[in-house]
Amino acid sequence: MAQSQGWVRRYFKAFCKGFFVAVPVAVTFLDRVACVARVEGASMQPSLNPGGSQSSDVVLLNHWKVRNFEVQRGDVVSLVSPKNPEQKIIKRVIALEGDIVKTMGHKNRYVKVPRGHIWVEGDHHGHSFDSNSFGPVSLGLLHAHATHILWPPERWQKLESVLPPERSPVQSEEDCLQGSP
Amino acid sequence: MFFSGSPVNTAKIQCIVVKTYGQWWQSLHRTMLRGVLGKTFRLVGYTIQYGCIAHCAFEYVGGVLMCSGPSMEPTIQNSDIVFAENLSRHFYGIQRGDIVVAKSPSDPKSNICKRVIGLEGDKILTSSPAGFFKSHSYVPKGHVWLEGDNLQNSTDSRYYGPVPYGLIRGRIFLKIWPLNDFGFLRNSPNGHRFSDE
Repeated sequence: MAQSQGWVRRYFKAFCKGFFVAVPVAVTFLDRVACVARVEGASMQPSLNPGGSQSSDVVLLNHWKVRNFEVQRGDVVSLVSPKNPEQKIIKRVIALEGDIVKTMGHKNRYVKVPRGHIWVEGDHHGHSFDSNSFGPVSLGLLHAHATHILWPPERWQKLESVLPPERSPVQSEEDCLQGSP
Repeated sequence: MFFSGSPVNTAKIQCIVVKTYGQWWQSLHRTMLRGVLGKTFRLVGYTIQYGCIAHCAFEYVGGVLMCSGPSMEPTIQNSDIVFAENLSRHFYGIQRGDIVVAKSPSDPKSNICKRVIGLEGDKILTSSPAGFFKSHSYVPKGHVWLEGDNLQNSTDSRYYGPVPYGLIRGRIFLKIWPLNDFGFLRNSPNGHRFSDE
């Protein structure tokens, strides 16, 4: 009798010890290093979800790469939606702070991206709720950098950071600093 | 150590050297190295474990912060230490009149500490209240309007516009230091800013 009770107590103690070690480490890993997410919607077609609602892509989100808020033009990133803080949206970075963008459907024709902000757009223009609707977004809303598509297996690939040439900024910050006309 | 001699002698000497070296390495490994390596691994393990617990506590429960700057005087003075909780942010319970800490819209690596004047849909008086022509604007969906209590010396939403809710980190509700000012935080000294009619 005493022996079985001792076994239960030992098991309980080991379980608690493991629980308080494993749960914070797992939560910290998913918040700070990387996690996985399913993509819904058609705003990033054809890069993501080309099959529409039949098969949603699952992407690897890398938090570690954006821990210092460093992104490049062309990166596919996930961010907290500025219009609905409960939702995360996934878009491509088109312009960084200081760039002047030629917008598509925004109330101003040309927008200079303010300091600490970025301009994001979905690849499927016209079907995308992005900076053309809500303007430049603050870098503080940046959540992660989507690096790979993990599922379905036939779409397993690395997401390239390619900026469509027709969407490159009218004048970038580097041009301004070098004083080009 | 070089011995000129026959190949047999050289081979024997090489054997002895290797054996001695092997024994030396084994004893070193048994006594010092394993102890040191073991201790290092344990230390790294504990650091990772407590670091993760600290991250979870700060991210999901709350933490202690030090505020600097004059923009929230007289409610919070420069170098006051306050306690902020993050539960309201996760459950979307931030209300008008709360003092929040948020990421700065123009510099994501620094934080700002302001009071929530308006939530989404509220009408905000953007001109001076003593002015003749009053201009209003509405706080867009998913944003809040932040202002410091020290209106003369505060860079806030009157300068950079409404702030997305997603930038809010936590709600400050208790001042810990200085001890003569310990306690829950006062209401805004600028009551007139809350009118939304």
